[in-house]
Amino acid sequence: MPRYQATLLIELKDGILDPQGRAVEGVLQGLGHPVESVRVGKVLEVVFQAENLLQAEEKAKALGKLLANPVMEVFALEALKELP
Amino acid sequence: MKWAIVRFPGSNCDEDARFALEKAGIRAEFVWHTAQDLRGFDGVFLPGGFSYGDYLRAGALAAKSPVMAEVRRFAQEGRYVIGVCNGFQVLTEAGLLPGALLANLNLHFTCKEVGVRVERTDLPFTRLYRQGQVLRLPIAHAEGRYYADPETLKRLEGEGQVVFRYAPLGEEAHYNPNGSLNDIAGIVNERGNVLGMMPHPERAVDPILGGEDGLPLFLGLVQEVAG
Repeated sequence: MPRYQATLLIELKDGILDPQGRAVEGVLQGLGHPVESVRVGKVLEVVFQAENLLQAEEKAKALGKLLANPVMEVFALEALKELP
Repeated sequence: MKWAIVRFPGSNCDEDARFALEKAGIRAEFVWHTAQDLRGFDGVFLPGGFSYGDYLRAGALAAKSPVMAEVRRFAQEGRYVIGVCNGFQVLTEAGLLPGALLANLNLHFTCKEVGVRVERTDLPFTRLYRQGQVLRLPIAHAEGRYYADPETLKRLEGEGQVVFRYAPLGEEAHYNPNGSLNDIAGIVNERGNVLGMMPHPERAVDPILGGEDGLPLFLGLVQEVAG
């Protein structure tokens, strides 16, 4: 069966205060980088087997649903590729 | 009366929980997170600590442990479940309590005594407290900022599910240690048998520990059964 690598991005929902992002933002501004805002999220790279790309996408989304907490997070499937 | 204390990899308040339960006259047994049978127990205690090193999110991986399916069944039967600190985080991650616990506003791991006001006394956990009583309890966490969407928050307040709220011990203006919405320190489910709280009652059950304000919570559980 082909192997796939999914890149899942998990972020805090809009409107939820991210103190980690705020801290990074403060440091960047202190270094003279006038950034507007910073938010910190998580990237997960998951490798698994699937019949085809369509099934791989379904599996990847199911994993994102399992690993993100819908109370305060959203996830996005950023990339999906077949591995050699 | 016998309670189970669930040990996840990284739990570290398990012995404190045993000390508190036994001091209240409750038999306590440790149960590993792979356990699939909680028959014979009257209650389950999910202790504080850093299950799975807080990886992914605090409590997220522990919430998927085999034992949690059994804790869910246990709760559905109306039996008592208490989660303190990391245990509270596990209960929200498992969906047994609404909302979530996010990083403290100041990003610090905060370890100190705080004031905690008792908001209702009709529960076994709080029946030995006075309405509005302000307890002195320790907190020790980095992710304790209670969050729920506005609708959930409204429902929690409307149904009286907020059991404990941060409150000033004296005159201090900044008594909310982590930025929790509505100063929420502890909540119950709708049925009132699953309690989650960030402060540690089990660390305040003996004068030598700096206070005994946590002890009535455990003594109340015994009275519930004795009637």
